[in-house]
Amino acid sequence: MRRALRRLRGRRRRVLTAAALTAAAGLAVGVAGTVGYSLATGYDRAATRTDQPDVLGRFAPQRLSVLRERLERLPNVERISYRLEVNRVSLAANGQSKRNGAVHVVRPGRRGYVVVAGRDLGSRAGETLVERGVANEWDLGIGDSIDVGGLGSLRIAGIALSVDNVAFPLATVPRIYVTEAEIARRFGPDDDPGVNLALVWLADSSRLDVTLASARPAVFGLRTEQLLTRRAVRQVIDQAAGIVIALLAVFGLVACACAGVMLAAASAAEVRRRAPALGVQRALGASRRQVVGGEALDAVLVAAPAAALGLGVGALAATGPTAHLLGFLNEVAPGSALLGPLAGAFAGLVAVAAAGAAWPAWRLNRRPVSALLRGGDLCAGPARRRRARSGGLVGLGAHFAFARRGRWTSTVSALAVAGAAMLLVLAVADLLVSLRDDPGTLGRRYALTVPGEQSDAAPIARIPGVAAAAQRSTVQAADSFSLTEPLRVIAYPGDHVPFEAPPLAEGRRLASDSEVEVGLGLADALGLRPGRELAIQPAGSGELRFRVVGIVRALENDGRVVYARTARLRDADPSLGGPIAVRLESGADRGEVVRRLNQAGFQSSATGGATPRNRSFLGVLAAVLRAVALAIGLVCLAAILQTLALTTRDRRRALAVLRATGAPPAAVAAVLAGTAAALVVPAVVLAVALQRLLLGPIVAELAASYATLPLGVGATGILLVGGGLIAIGAVAVLVVTRSAVREPVAAGIERDD
Amino acid sequence: MACQHRCPVSSPSLRLRGLTKTVGSGRAARRVLDAVDLDLMPGELVAVVGPSGSGKSTLLHLAGGLDLPEAGEVQVAGERLSGRSDADLARLRARHIGFVFQAFHLVAELSGEENVRLAARFGSRDAAGRVASLIDAVDLRSVAGSLPAQLSGGEQQRFALARALVNDPTVLLADEPTGNLDARSGETVLDLLRRSTDSGRAVLVVTHDPAVTSRADRVLHLQDGALG
Repeated sequence: MRRALRRLRGRRRRVLTAAALTAAAGLAVGVAGTVGYSLATGYDRAATRTDQPDVLGRFAPQRLSVLRERLERLPNVERISYRLEVNRVSLAANGQSKRNGAVHVVRPGRRGYVVVAGRDLGSRAGETLVERGVANEWDLGIGDSIDVGGLGSLRIAGIALSVDNVAFPLATVPRIYVTEAEIARRFGPDDDPGVNLALVWLADSSRLDVTLASARPAVFGLRTEQLLTRRAVRQVIDQAAGIVIALLAVFGLVACACAGVMLAAASAAEVRRRAPALGVQRALGASRRQVVGGEALDAVLVAAPAAALGLGVGALAATGPTAHLLGFLNEVAPGSALLGPLAGAFAGLVAVAAAGAAWPAWRLNRRPVSALLRGGDLCAGPARRRRARSGGLVGLGAHFAFARRGRWTSTVSALAVAGAAMLLVLAVADLLVSLRDDPGTLGRRYALTVPGEQSDAAPIARIPGVAAAAQRSTVQAADSFSLTEPLRVIAYPGDHVPFEAPPLAEGRRLASDSEVEVGLGLADALGLRPGRELAIQPAGSGELRFRVVGIVRALENDGRVVYARTARLRDADPSLGGPIAVRLESGADRGEVVRRLNQAGFQSSATGGATPRNRSFLGVLAAVLRAVALAIGLVCLAAILQTLALTTRDRRRALAVLRATGAPPAAVAAVLAGTAAALVVPAVVLAVALQRLLLGPIVAELAASYATLPLGVGATGILLVGGGLIAIGAVAVLVVTRSAVREPVAAGIERDD
Repeated sequence: MACQHRCPVSSPSLRLRGLTKTVGSGRAARRVLDAVDLDLMPGELVAVVGPSGSGKSTLLHLAGGLDLPEAGEVQVAGERLSGRSDADLARLRARHIGFVFQAFHLVAELSGEENVRLAARFGSRDAAGRVASLIDAVDLRSVAGSLPAQLSGGEQQRFALARALVNDPTVLLADEPTGNLDARSGETVLDLLRRSTDSGRAVLVVTHDPAVTSRADRVLHLQDGALG
């Protein structure tokens, strides 16, 4: 160990460069790991912390005694709490107000939420708990007052966090909690109060299916809206957040892999450079194992503190935006639980650095000692046919880069992976914008919606510029068999293809009222294929059965959608409605059509995308993505700096001779610019190919296997990443040139490399 | 006051005054040049001899502005080297100084001719026009496109000499130019060095080779930091 430290002190600058690269890789892993881990585990953590029930049953309002009698006979039940959810209540506080608030009337027992500030509701009169999202958005604190329609002013006793939905304002409904005693004080006691929510905790969560199987007959006859398991609640939350969370989590994994590749390449390059020194050790009698062990130990000693620093800084940088993001989802930041994954990442980074040093050292040591003394990889391997080069100073620099094929290959690979990761960031950002703004991303072909009845469709269709119009109905439903797979039925009176046509993955389009197309997300969850039967239970009506004829790649609702015709749904629920979807003629002026619709007495609105439209949510996402991109950019800078520094070191004498013959600092910069160009240009080309052919499809598949995500990269993205890498290369050239010309020319000529 | 290209006979092409340099540090510090003075006149070939480690190469490096002295002053073609920026010093080297090294130091990826052309980039506009004639003059036309690794030592040193002369320098500084060559190749290089003084160029050669000293106009001994 002491000898290793002495060795490292002897090459201080190189050690600092390697440490900087490791720290940059650590930074990337720290940021990506924190984002990925926090998002991937946020729900489970929040569910545990908030004591989320295993099953959440929503019913039409019932007497408590009725629900109790039905539910408390179920097997495997540990505890049930009941609540009354009152909707469309006006809430106002701190200058803010909403008319669509929800008041949850809670009873003694397990609550299914956690109080994150203040205290829980007790026997004191006139108190309420507000949901964390409401408190944050309306800037409410303990002791503040909130005006509740029908209840008057209530004092805020605490802030509650519950994970059965995303937070306000991402969820459009602000929620507060009051006790049943408070209601009794205002409206008089009721021995058998009305309730519509049942929170069920199981004795053994792994036997959920047994309980659900019994639940179905038990609730028969009640107007059951939904029986949601934890898994289903998670799906609801994921749907609200859109595809974003899955993308970020997968992106974190990809960024970690990129950093690993770069770190391994850098360690390998450093060992190759030191081939003669390894040869000297062998010549002095060191065994191959000792030499390899020494290189690995050196790498560990350099990588350990640098990786710890990078990981720490990266994690700290990402913690704030990630916690903010989790707040929108009512999820919980990992806190000290992040230490475990960070420790794992630390071990991984150090192991990658050690392996990156040990493996090439092992390979180099298989060569004769004399070959190592002459420079290892330069003289090893079959002799290559060489020819004279030309191309001026820049060309000379490029040839300097190509002469070290191993180093060139590893650096270009690392830059290409990093560039592809940056392209991925841009593609994800573009996708977010298009999911927010462009209905075409979802396969929607209609541009406008108009509130109205089906009878309005015909007059709308006659308006110039309108190609077609039909009523679009959507119904929330659940799979009849388990009641735990929430799904969305989208129905048109006739053919839905003119209005929305997600691509068919299998089967055919529906052709009759008894047929449906289902999204791949739902098909995978329920094991559906063309020819099978789908039984669904729409909210508030009886069971409906359809024959599945096609599977579509629909992005909406995570692919848990069903395309059907309206007729049978309307038979089950005559009040079924929905807006008129308006498809425009090709080239029609939307503004003009909107004007004509207004003249005809129809108020239209533009069709949106899939992700939440909350601007601050998207702002936080953008901040997270920028932090990740910045970390990757720093890794690129470190990689280019290291390769240029190594090339300058290898070609120290050639550069000194150039300077001796009158080359000014600008000429040295031109040579190094050639070296940088030889790295950056192929890296950009490879990065584009890698993103298009590998990373984009992999991330799209992992994030949303049920749909085709357009994660391709456009000319703007290529220009941005290419320009960014060129700018990073230019900075590296300036830094290394400055360092190279600071050395007296004679020093470069006198010493052997 | 600087002279334009070749200085009048009365003015030295290279003037060293009080040049002092210490190498190493601490207990290992050793003063290799101690207030050295030297005037190198146009057309003169001066050989500096001395034991290994006596500071001959250091003297050459300081004379060419490749290193900085602790004390003293260097003037090339009447222009002082001290107090110049890197870029300024590079311009002066390109215009007035040529170097030949014992180990040739040709760029391995470039052919002999490309090595010469590379140096011509930093000189005057007509330097590129001299490349072909210089290669003919050193009798290397047939191997001009070969890489250094495909050339003999003598051929490499002749390309290195052509590279040093391509910008038509006022002073040529040669560090053991025959040290790595056989006798016949050494003789050829020596002939070229000698011929290069015909046009008034001054040549300072550091050498151990008696064949060089026998062709020199003056031979100076460097020992214990003193030149005499």
